Amino acid sequence: MEQTARLKSNRVLILLNRFKTFVSRPQNSILLLLGLILTVSTIAPMISIFIDTVSVHLGSVDAHYTGLTEGYTLYNWQDLFFGKMSQINLWTPLFNSLLLSAFSCLFSILYGGIFAYLVTRTNIVIRKYLSSIFIFPYIMPQWTLAVIWQNVFSSNAVTGTSDGLLAALFNIQMPSWWCVGLFPSVVVLGLHYAPFAYILIGGIFRNMDANLEEAASILNTPRYKIFARVTLPMVKPAILSTILLVFSSAMGSYPVPHYLKLTTLCTKYVQMGEKRAGQASILAVVMIVLGVVIMLINQRTTSGRKSYTTVTGKSGQINKVNLGRIGKYVIAGIFLVLTLFTSIFPIITFAMETFLPNPGDYSFLTSGVAGNLTTKWWIVSENITENGMYGQPGILYNSAIWNAFGGTVIVAVACAILAGTIGLLVGYSVSKNRRSKWAGYVNNIAFLPYLMPSLAVGVAFFVFGSSLGIFNTYLLLILAGVVKYIPFASRSALNSMMQLSGEIEEAAVIQNIPWHKRMFRIIIPIQKTSIISGYLLPFMTCLRELTLFMLLCSQTKIITTMLDYFDEMGLYAFSSGINLLLIIFILVCNALVNKLTGASLDKGIGGN
Amino acid sequence: MARIELTNVTKRWGSFYAVDALNLVIEDNAFVTLLGPSGCGKTTTLRMIAGLETPTSGRITIDGVPVFDSEIGINISANHRKVGFLFQNYALWPNMTVYQNISFGLSNIKESMPEVDWVARKAARLAEILAKPQDLLALLRDAYRQNDKSDTDKAMLRLIDTYEISRFSAKEILNLNLHSASDALETAKSAAVRQQAVVDRQKEQAKASGTELSDTFEILQSGQIKRRDRKLTGEEIDLIVRRVARIVKIGMFMGRYPSELSGGQQQRVAIARTLAPGPKVLFMDEPLSNLDAKLRLEMRSELQRLHLQTGSTFIYVTHDQMEAMTLATKICLINNGVLQQYAEPMTVYNTPENLFVADFVGNPSINFIAANGKQQADGSVALSFFQGRKGAFQCKRNVDIAQTVKRLEAESQPLDIAMVSEKKGKHVEKENVVKVFQPRFLTVDMDDADVDAMGENAEFILGVRPEAISIHELGKLEGEVFSAMPAGMETTVRIKIENFLLTGVVFGGVLYKIGEKVRFDLTGNNILLFDSRSGKMLTDGSLTI
Repeated sequence: MEQTARLKSNRVLILLNRFKTFVSRPQNSILLLLGLILTVSTIAPMISIFIDTVSVHLGSVDAHYTGLTEGYTLYNWQDLFFGKMSQINLWTPLFNSLLLSAFSCLFSILYGGIFAYLVTRTNIVIRKYLSSIFIFPYIMPQWTLAVIWQNVFSSNAVTGTSDGLLAALFNIQMPSWWCVGLFPSVVVLGLHYAPFAYILIGGIFRNMDANLEEAASILNTPRYKIFARVTLPMVKPAILSTILLVFSSAMGSYPVPHYLKLTTLCTKYVQMGEKRAGQASILAVVMIVLGVVIMLINQRTTSGRKSYTTVTGKSGQINKVNLGRIGKYVIAGIFLVLTLFTSIFPIITFAMETFLPNPGDYSFLTSGVAGNLTTKWWIVSENITENGMYGQPGILYNSAIWNAFGGTVIVAVACAILAGTIGLLVGYSVSKNRRSKWAGYVNNIAFLPYLMPSLAVGVAFFVFGSSLGIFNTYLLLILAGVVKYIPFASRSALNSMMQLSGEIEEAAVIQNIPWHKRMFRIIIPIQKTSIISGYLLPFMTCLRELTLFMLLCSQTKIITTMLDYFDEMGLYAFSSGINLLLIIFILVCNALVNKLTGASLDKGIGGN
Repeated sequence: MARIELTNVTKRWGSFYAVDALNLVIEDNAFVTLLGPSGCGKTTTLRMIAGLETPTSGRITIDGVPVFDSEIGINISANHRKVGFLFQNYALWPNMTVYQNISFGLSNIKESMPEVDWVARKAARLAEILAKPQDLLALLRDAYRQNDKSDTDKAMLRLIDTYEISRFSAKEILNLNLHSASDALETAKSAAVRQQAVVDRQKEQAKASGTELSDTFEILQSGQIKRRDRKLTGEEIDLIVRRVARIVKIGMFMGRYPSELSGGQQQRVAIARTLAPGPKVLFMDEPLSNLDAKLRLEMRSELQRLHLQTGSTFIYVTHDQMEAMTLATKICLINNGVLQQYAEPMTVYNTPENLFVADFVGNPSINFIAANGKQQADGSVALSFFQGRKGAFQCKRNVDIAQTVKRLEAESQPLDIAMVSEKKGKHVEKENVVKVFQPRFLTVDMDDADVDAMGENAEFILGVRPEAISIHELGKLEGEVFSAMPAGMETTVRIKIENFLLTGVVFGGVLYKIGEKVRFDLTGNNILLFDSRSGKMLTDGSLTI
């Protein structure tokens, strides 16, 4: 009896000791806490969608066909997958979504990768200018390029809308497949995400030790072989990262396929509306499942003992490929023209749009009369005499616009601070507990919302938020934004923590320096650039995010939904003006933070 | 008392045993070197004792306190073990200057320390310095010779190093501007008087408040030094930093960042940082590996002095046996995670416990000669070696060879312990089991197969240190010089006898021609006799041919 009592107290003692050891290391408690919080914040919304797919919705097809008014039913699943409308409602959109994502990946990797190679490893001229201008399409909201594409290429004869620029000026009518559908969507999304590929792939190229290729060339290996067997494998992790990020982002994009008239899962979701609410939720579930599949694929390809640390050799010289005396100018010229169209032209168009007398009225270009331009869209402060503005005062006096702008800034700042801090803690605790399974789980669960299409996350929080009664509040927006953007911060924090040798912190631990001092005096200062970049990325993305927020609030709450409103109303001057303001604001913020701290958008995505 | 005890400490990754059932006792104030080839588990052992790595099983106590015990789940984290650790790749904090790196840990210490009247102590020292103004002036004038901006820094540094004061005191001296004053000596003298007045005033104050100042200006309360739980003052921190900087000679780099220092300088900063808090136990992981030969020798002697000065226990990991031999009070030889021998350096050198130890320690390596024979009635062993040579081995110890060999075979586990029973009776088959150490026989013109056969058939292996080979006219063995490497003080010579090569060392810088015929003897009574099957040493003794 006494022995069992002693054994029991021994066991208790052992557990107590183990618990003490566990808690004495801050990374353990942080990891535990984060794991619990993130599980709830990520999984709870998903569960609510799933429940939604099997519930009966009054006034929708499931209520009609089953005759129930409440409760649960599998009708939606059966109808969507096997019913008469399944081709239109599920399979075609699914197919289109997959095609769109796959081709956008391809496009962005090719375009971004080639540009990365040229800028980092050849002697192309005007490198700095090209590399900063290349990032613009990412900073601009996704749909702006789509809108520009329409404005330039659409024509009355082909698409039935008013004449675009080419049609109006030169009478060129582009064919239908060029103007709407898969092709322009792929081009627009590819251009939008090419900067991602450029930053990630360029980051590896920039740090690659010249010795690797030199060793191969000394052995008389032909150029193409060096490229294929030495250079390319080194950028494999960046390519995989890009595929991962672009695929899921493209799948979750709503505005682009919407404007360019491509039916994808996202557009179908919005289209289904009230009548098929349950089936719409199923579409969201499909998108989530696809996101999880991508994450698992990513897990398999990057897990294991392979290390993907960038090679920073002590030799800082990089062997630049010589493009030839003329070549370096010609190729630079080509990219100059290309980036002119993708980066500068949109901004000019926006500016121009705000001075047109009527939406889409390019008459001043043909007539050459400058008097046709007007500043009314900017400075009119009353709505009595001016009738073409639908009762809206000019941008500078439009309080609705500025309120919405303020709302966006509030949401963006809050999201950035919360997501950045949580991401930092995730990166720290996961990197310190690399081999534990719980750390792997926390890392994945933190990353999952990124892989889930924005719309799906939006839907999840819409259902979740409505049930909690916080629809159309900043709180819901911030919640959704934080959950969606933690991956940005956690990924950049994790990458930089992994590159930090553990001994730096151990040297402080041995001297009994407390945790907070270690974080604030050693770890954070060493990595402050990537940490601030980790804060910057959610901020920038939040400023121009539409898909995630559009279901969660009214149209006047934030600036991007406001923009969408003006676009739908056809008041292109307002929408262009807002676009212009947004872009300028983001560029100014980026430049300021860059100047003050050395951090920047590209460092946040993972570049150097 | 900083005695460290390891009991059955094991570190296992999967089925790979990095450290296998290590039992070690490190006495207080010892200088123990963990020596062994790369990958043998020395750094892992060091990190386990320091708390940076968690053993799979076992028990570690420091100073009687169990810091790790797998049976009852104790695992005190590294920051509470009060040890110092010097990392192999420095681990300097790149965002702090050298001064901040060294002082960072000091600003954290809070323990019971004597209370000191800093004002009085500083003033007394200044008075002392200023009382000898000629020396001071000479120093300052010398520092300000170049007449540019860096002179003030140089002067500061000189003052700090020469008089062993803090930078605050140095600043006060510099503020007197003695080097450019016209009546320097008077200014100095009056300053000295002022400082002395400060000291006296402090003493008065102390008396008034009922305390006393000791000779070193500690506050005494009724004869006892007053102690208090306090942190270090800025002055104390500066003094400590300057002191350790002087030891490793990095005083002039205080304001630099680690990225602006060479590798050797960074390592010295790391050494200083570890020494600063004055820990009772100091772990060092190959600290001198990046220094050039001359600096390494200097630092070695400094470490030795430090060891005596601080009275701490030093545990030093290295693969350089020269360092181990010269610095350690006890060497701990490890191979493949298993302890081979733990003894004083000369014991390890003269009476190695097995073939591995004999081979590892000693430069040039020991000569191994395969031999067969039997122990005679008088205790000596009649041996036949090379190709038919006969000799008699006189044992220094009283051993029954046949019985010992039989016992060793009976005990014969391979050198490593193959299965370790952990809690719940879980056995994990060891993946990195290594057979008995195979001694290398140097041969010329002999087939590999024949060499292997000779090794297989040998019952004994003779170990002959290079210095035991004495080349002289009357030597009983004759051979030919195969190679000669004169190094100034000594010459390393390889002698070919029949098909075998023996390495010898001759002092005095004698020159030999390759092919020269020589006669030599195997002298001394430190010749070792090993049992070839188990690799263990049977006895030492002398050999008569």
